[in-house]
Amino acid sequence: MSKPLQDNICESQLFERLYKKHAKNLHDFLYYKYGDQLNPQDKVQEAFIKLWQNCSKVAANKAKSYLFTTANNLMLNAYAHQKVVLKHKKQPLKTSTNETPEFLLEEKEYHQKLQAALSKLTEAQRVAFLLNRVEGKRFKEIAALLDISVKGVEKRIYGALKKLREDIDEL
Amino acid sequence: MKREELIKKWLDHNLNTEEQIAFEQLDDYNELMKMDSALRDFKAPKFSSTQSYQEVKTKLKPKVSQPQQWLKPLLRIAAVLAIGFSIYYFTTTLDTSINTEIAEQTTIALPDDSMVNLNANSTVTYNESHWNKTRAVKLQGEAFFKVAKGKKFDVITEDGIVSVLGTEFNVKQRHSYFEVTCYEGLVAVTYNNNTTKLKPGHSFKIIDGKLLATEKENAVQPQWLHGESSFTSVPLKHVIKEFENQYNRTLITENIDLSRLYTGSFTHNNLDLALKSVTIPLNLSYSISEESILLKRE
Repeated sequence: MSKPLQDNICESQLFERLYKKHAKNLHDFLYYKYGDQLNPQDKVQEAFIKLWQNCSKVAANKAKSYLFTTANNLMLNAYAHQKVVLKHKKQPLKTSTNETPEFLLEEKEYHQKLQAALSKLTEAQRVAFLLNRVEGKRFKEIAALLDISVKGVEKRIYGALKKLREDIDEL
Repeated sequence: MKREELIKKWLDHNLNTEEQIAFEQLDDYNELMKMDSALRDFKAPKFSSTQSYQEVKTKLKPKVSQPQQWLKPLLRIAAVLAIGFSIYYFTTTLDTSINTEIAEQTTIALPDDSMVNLNANSTVTYNESHWNKTRAVKLQGEAFFKVAKGKKFDVITEDGIVSVLGTEFNVKQRHSYFEVTCYEGLVAVTYNNNTTKLKPGHSFKIIDGKLLATEKENAVQPQWLHGESSFTSVPLKHVIKEFENQYNRTLITENIDLSRLYTGSFTHNNLDLALKSVTIPLNLSYSISEESILLKRE
């Protein structure tokens, strides 16, 4: 019997390690996929609590997919009850700037176009694209996170980029 | 290298120095840079794993320690055993009931070796597990009792109660007919709150609500134990009823006074002979058909 198989998630030290390893990724995944409205932070905690409750039934090497699936389902249940407009919180702009008002206005308009275009992407495209562009993750990392092939990741991200450019150019 | 390939490599943070220069020459470069910097505003809010974990830790229920794991299965086994014992106890303390069909007779041994001969179409009920404390038997119909010496023995019928200590007696309880005959020992009959004591050879008879005089009975046992039903001045209607108990036939009468008294007996083993025994002394005739037997005046 190899060491990993013996490790039981019901052991709190192992559980803590799992938390430190996956919680942030899970949070970002939910945020990029569904936006801010339905409280991704809470869903992350709920998913981990569910994992703890079922700790004797889940193998350590299956924990990550269990967490992602559970958290996603929790989101979908919350989502189903509300027709949510996808919204991503805008980070505060730099306060000191030497740009002209026109430039700032143009920047604001561009931002809105980008926001609208992002919400039109498929969930799959959006998550992969934002994890890559905003979180700086490489294709291989994203493939491991989402349990898909690297080729698949590349397709989604490139497809997202094309669509965004088309949408923004139109407006 | 194709434009698309370059862009894909850039996306993957995978450009070497040469490719980087080529990338910056592309027409798309400015647009891509603009989008990239705008995208930074869409970053997910900060998530502190340590802080979040502290919150989660308080919500986690502590895992039950090993020793508790045997408690649940143990409780389940205990429950099953408890139910099992209750059912066993309940079913073994239920009453025992024995009954005879028409034309059937049987003998029963009670837990204390008392014997009961049951006549046709009768039911006797007693409780085996309570027998040590109380000897009580419920009777519907007719039975001859040979009671072993011991504590009080009661025969409970709809019409009255018969109590003995150790003795032989016959109890007949049918519709409007209650008769107790003592063959040996001493029998007490309680009827309507009145108690009558019977010595051997004496009987207590209530027929159609009337108390009839007791008479000396010479036999040692009732006749029905020996394949014959015998009657002394008994209204015809009760004779006919007993006939129907012994033979699986319906008797219909036409124009006959059923309160006529009959003295005599009929056999249990020969229908024709039995019919003649009843009809001839009373100047009656009979005719047998599929469904019934018709009695009428000669």
